[in-house]
Amino acid sequence: MRPVGEASLFWSLAFLLAALALLPAGRLILAGGDVEVLLRPAVGVALLHTLVVSLGGMAVSGLVGGGAALLMAAPDLGRRPTLLFLFSLLMMVPSQVTAIAWLNLVGPSLYGPGGITLLLGIEHAPLVLLALRAGLGRVPAELLEAGQTAGARPLRLVATIVLPLAAPAFGAGLGLAFVANLGNFAAPALLGIPGRYPVLTTLIYQRLSGFGPRVLGEVADLSLLLGLVAGVALAVEAVIARHRDVLGNGTGTPALPPLGRWRLVAEAGLWLLLAATLAMPLLALLGTALDRAYGAPFSFASLSLENFRYILVEHEASRRALANSFLLALLSALILMLIAIPAAYFAVWRRSPVMRGLLFAASLPYALPGIVLAIAFILLLIRPIFGIGLYGTLGIILLAYLARFLALAERPVSAAFRQLDPHLDEAAALQGAGLVRRLRTIVLPLVLPAAMAGGLLVFLTAFNELTVSALLWSAGHETLGVVLFSLEQAGDIPLAAALAVISTAVTVVLMLLVTRLARALPAGVLPWQG
Amino acid sequence: MMLRMLLLAGLLALAQPAMAASGKLVLYSSQPDRIASETIAAFKTREPNVEIELFRSGTTEILNKLAAEVMAGAPQPDVLLIADAMAMEQLKADHRLMAYPAAKLAGVPPAAYDPDKRYFGTKLITTGIVYNRKAPFKPERWKDLARPEAKAQVVLPSPLYSGAAAINLGALGLDYYAALAGNGAQAVSGNGAVLTAVAGGQKNFGVIVDFMALNAKAQGSPVEFVFPKDGVVAVTEPVAILETAHNPEAAKAFVDFLLSHEGQELAARQGFLPIRADVPPPPGFPADINFLPIDIQRIRKADDQAKQRFADLFGG
Repeated sequence: MRPVGEASLFWSLAFLLAALALLPAGRLILAGGDVEVLLRPAVGVALLHTLVVSLGGMAVSGLVGGGAALLMAAPDLGRRPTLLFLFSLLMMVPSQVTAIAWLNLVGPSLYGPGGITLLLGIEHAPLVLLALRAGLGRVPAELLEAGQTAGARPLRLVATIVLPLAAPAFGAGLGLAFVANLGNFAAPALLGIPGRYPVLTTLIYQRLSGFGPRVLGEVADLSLLLGLVAGVALAVEAVIARHRDVLGNGTGTPALPPLGRWRLVAEAGLWLLLAATLAMPLLALLGTALDRAYGAPFSFASLSLENFRYILVEHEASRRALANSFLLALLSALILMLIAIPAAYFAVWRRSPVMRGLLFAASLPYALPGIVLAIAFILLLIRPIFGIGLYGTLGIILLAYLARFLALAERPVSAAFRQLDPHLDEAAALQGAGLVRRLRTIVLPLVLPAAMAGGLLVFLTAFNELTVSALLWSAGHETLGVVLFSLEQAGDIPLAAALAVISTAVTVVLMLLVTRLARALPAGVLPWQG
Repeated sequence: MMLRMLLLAGLLALAQPAMAASGKLVLYSSQPDRIASETIAAFKTREPNVEIELFRSGTTEILNKLAAEVMAGAPQPDVLLIADAMAMEQLKADHRLMAYPAAKLAGVPPAAYDPDKRYFGTKLITTGIVYNRKAPFKPERWKDLARPEAKAQVVLPSPLYSGAAAINLGALGLDYYAALAGNGAQAVSGNGAVLTAVAGGQKNFGVIVDFMALNAKAQGSPVEFVFPKDGVVAVTEPVAILETAHNPEAAKAFVDFLLSHEGQELAARQGFLPIRADVPPPPGFPADINFLPIDIQRIRKADDQAKQRFADLFGG
């Protein structure tokens, strides 16, 4: 029989997960209308388009993020921490900035499915990169050494030892990228509306713009369709991962064979990729932020810091939004890491079907369009619960973020558990160590790198979040995304650019600070180090 | 004489509001951030005892937030100030809007407000043509955008996503939009995206609301704005009091302020065309704008069909 502490921890976790994952979707089902709406031809077309760009984007993320993770695991690749750091930043570049920079470069061929796929693939490449990297750290060096001694070539080592061992992590990254693509609105709105390529999220927003008594029901149905697609995808991933449970106990720092003479090619490729996906859009953003007027021909005389001064000195909402978004992103990351570790422990090592089911459902809120998740939270929380009114506070945004980003924190950790050997935990339990003690002394050190990777993904995603908070913010509780959206809607493009530059700079400084503070931690704990 | 004095004093006493407005007023508005803050600040100098709580977002976000609140049985706002009358008509049909028969409408043309006095236009936001200064010609009429020199160079806000664009579609007619589509025009998600494309030089011509193009020009962007000679369509940024308002007195004071001479002068200073004829328009607006008459009821009835046709022409 389980000790009391263990049962109460288990059930309070289960209760919390059920509330976060199932309540919003359940409320939408209640609000759902006639499912006949799903039979319209336009819905079929949008569903097909959604699948095309989501799968395509996932493939691009897998290629870019997976390739980068493998290359960065080679010991002789130069400047690995810097490269990793910069690749993580890809999530910070607003989609429209990348889209406009690329449109200026390659022209209107970007409109349509190809451009959407590329934009989604690049934006979500860090999901695969960070998840896979945490997994690569678990590949035992002895196995690789044995393979090398036996005379296997590097590519063969990767194919026969590294990839099978890291498959759960790679699968988790790909699954996250796919679900993130499903619920994405920005990329198809920017490139799909002009490109005549409607997807489910733009179709849903279209219906919401039409506005009327039947709309919420229709939209709930369409959103649940997205959730269903996500569920099928994750079920496929789970089936594949089940057959690949390979255990290893690596050191935490990936150690792949050296690249040798391919080193320069690999380095050049990675830096070029960063130039196109990170440097170019960010420089364009900086240029816009330094310009007095958008679109005026570039000249050094017209450069000024006026936009930065206005945002930092005069625009109180921007300062509040930076503070609010920082607080929301940090709290979301920390709380979700704390939930993800024990939940994944019960689901994977203890094989609890209840916890497995709940974690499966936890991906649902990430696949819904943000505006729909926000509607569900309004329906749930507009009235005070147990005398606590969260509507109109930062609290409702935090809860919505916890629900939305749970999958981001949990998938890398679950993947780590799947790669690790549970016998240590069982041995300690036989010796009489309680669950909390085992979690602290055995589990935490082993999965901390994966948990930190998940936490970083949550932080970076939540910091810039718009579609959920656009409905849930209230006076004094603005988020960064909301203020950026307001400035852009008013046509104040240079001001919006200045705020985006500032928020990126704040993130970079924070990550550098953490790097300094974290020198005492074991190698591999910071996702962009080692 | 004495009697007249007394009468005058009595009239003056009657003219004073019985009780000045006070308390919290919840406003949901789609006005740009800076404009909304200025409007609130100006209102506060007139009604210092009213504390306004603002939720600012896009019209779509506002309407769906409100719809969710209504569904949950707890609508929050006292006053709505949104881009166009289409959504107001829907809310009126759902019995969500309170009539305000005593609204001070002197100088406001009857076409600008609901005959039942449940919503009131507060300004005229016209939709016209923006062009980049490097464009090969200066467009003057709507049909110029269908000329061969404008092929694949026109960008317009999609009526599937924008209420003002839906009214424009209803007023200019589907034949015109078919001609634009035939000329390779591209639909984007909203007016902001139009400005980005034209000011940034990716496209030469755009269909856009006046103040956005004129403000960008004033700040130095290389764009010009044209009020097409064959007529422009205007949305009225209507204000309405909710049937469920918690503070109707303050809400009425807010509506009166927006429609007052003072409120209209503020709108003009902010770069908007005032709704009252007795307040002069801001610089950049010609005196002889040719307004196309619009029939909101007719446009609303044909809306679903028009949008369907638009989706066929321009892609969903």
